[in-house]
Amino acid sequence: MAFYIFKRLLAVIPTMLGVAVLIFLLLRVVPGDVVEARYLGQGSQFQSQELMDIERKKLGLDKPLWNQFTSWMAGLARLDFGLSMWTGSPITEEIKLRFALSLQLAIMASTIATLLAIPLGILAAVKQDTWVDYAVRVFSISGLAMPSFWLGILLILGMLIIFKWMPPMVFTPLWVNPWENLAQLIWPALAVGYRYCAVGTRMMRSTMLEVLREDYIRTARAKGLWQKLILTRHALKNAILPVLTVISLEFAFLLGGLVVTEQVFNLNGLGMLFVEAISHRDYTLTQALVLLVATAFLIVNFVVDIAYAWLDPRIHYR
Amino acid sequence: MAANPQTVVDLVSTAAPRSGWLGAILRFVRQRPLGAIGAAIIVLMVAMAATADFLAPFDPLATDYGAMLAAPGAHHWLGTDAFGRDVMSRMIYGSRTALMVGLGASFLGAVFGSLIGLGSAYFGGRVDLVVQRVMDVFFAFPVIILALAVVSILGTGVGNVILAIATPMVPRCARVVRASALSVREMPYVDAARASGFGHPRIILRHMLPNVTAPILIMATAFLGEAILLEASLSFLGLGVNEPTAAWGLMLRGAAVEFAETAPWMAFFPGLAISLAVFGFNLFGDSLRDALDPRLRTQ
Repeated sequence: MAFYIFKRLLAVIPTMLGVAVLIFLLLRVVPGDVVEARYLGQGSQFQSQELMDIERKKLGLDKPLWNQFTSWMAGLARLDFGLSMWTGSPITEEIKLRFALSLQLAIMASTIATLLAIPLGILAAVKQDTWVDYAVRVFSISGLAMPSFWLGILLILGMLIIFKWMPPMVFTPLWVNPWENLAQLIWPALAVGYRYCAVGTRMMRSTMLEVLREDYIRTARAKGLWQKLILTRHALKNAILPVLTVISLEFAFLLGGLVVTEQVFNLNGLGMLFVEAISHRDYTLTQALVLLVATAFLIVNFVVDIAYAWLDPRIHYR
Repeated sequence: MAANPQTVVDLVSTAAPRSGWLGAILRFVRQRPLGAIGAAIIVLMVAMAATADFLAPFDPLATDYGAMLAAPGAHHWLGTDAFGRDVMSRMIYGSRTALMVGLGASFLGAVFGSLIGLGSAYFGGRVDLVVQRVMDVFFAFPVIILALAVVSILGTGVGNVILAIATPMVPRCARVVRASALSVREMPYVDAARASGFGHPRIILRHMLPNVTAPILIMATAFLGEAILLEASLSFLGLGVNEPTAAWGLMLRGAAVEFAETAPWMAFFPGLAISLAVFGFNLFGDSLRDALDPRLRTQ
């Protein structure tokens, strides 16, 4: 087991390196750079070339690509993410501001998704091919079909029309005013959570259907166990792993992938920061953000793998 | 119960001459009501896109500054937007954009994904290892972020959006196809083809590809809905299809949010169109998956 963990950790390194190289090159292929984005964006096309060159030199953009990459890597090795090319402040500061919001939103959305998905999926599986099953399936496919930003618009609009109330638009940290904080974040969490609940419900339904056909379930039934006990003790335990996997992998992406939903709810999270960073051609910040999301994904992936071995004694890792 | 081989048999027997076309459709409706609803939505959408020129009451690009933000009524059934453009006409023409992007992206994604997956499984060994590691790298990006990155390199517009959406789909298709192709590679007929001295491309395309079409078809249908959703998201961010093209995501952008309170029809109807279209493709895709390959159900 220890050897397996070690091997898995080692395998993460080339993937991370690949992510780093890919985003580094992708950004350099994008036309324009931060200096152009700043000066030309203001509409002042009369900026002298020399001034822009000086600016580039200051940011190290004049150095060869190889050089830029190694200095970025060297910084990372010291856990130094560098400065944002656009604002000039440390990237850790820029990210820290938004991280609390994105993390809280991701946690809330995944919680909603899990709490809804597991009972709904079980219900649909147990009542397979009845109207209950169809209703749950329509509910979950609708969740996958509705763009969460549209659902967001409808939610805000609905509250505005029905309750004449609008969720607060300014972010308050949870520890400052929990009520104010929840009043703002619960809506995006619902809009996003519904979508991920749909993913989870479908997974729960199909794994549950599979498990319910297993021999040991028939045995349990044959010896006269209660249906409730069979479902929770025998079936759920075996069916829930893939569901938790799906939801936890989505969790990693929720951290940085809520680009559009944040836009609708005017949330200043990591997704918004990402769009800003890319449109400003802020190489350092974009790189750091992508690496952050990729790391989160790989860590979750890794933890899920280990958890599998720990929770399911049938799985042996070499 | 759900994995009954009967469904496959029934699907095949629908082609039996005695039942005819109508019989086949009726049987599909009876056995897979949800799939039939999905298929109906898709047929409706395709018909809408094909007959947009006759169906749309107005030119989707024509502005009418005398009727800006007009509420739904007898003249403009679903109202007008901030430029006085007819929402219903734009929605009808929007189905063209959605279908074009959806079909284009899932076709490209499926073609490249399948080739990579098949090649990776066929050659195995070091090739497989390297390809899989590269795919891992792509998996570590959220779909929308990868698409955003591609759009910012290529620029906006229908063609570029198709490429941007196909990009994150390639590794996912490759992974699924590789998994199926691994077992196909071990089949005696592949050995036989190799022994006959056929080249690699011929073995992959003529002998392996036909045996993994079921998962490819399933992936491609699943992509369709997702591609439409992704196009809407990109357009909503202003990084997708360009104005003034009629596209559903684009219709939700800007003024639709700004005037959501006074002119809710601008935001409501295009979103409904997106949801319905994706809903239809997902329902149909699910039924197709159940019918074609019960083993893939868990994916």
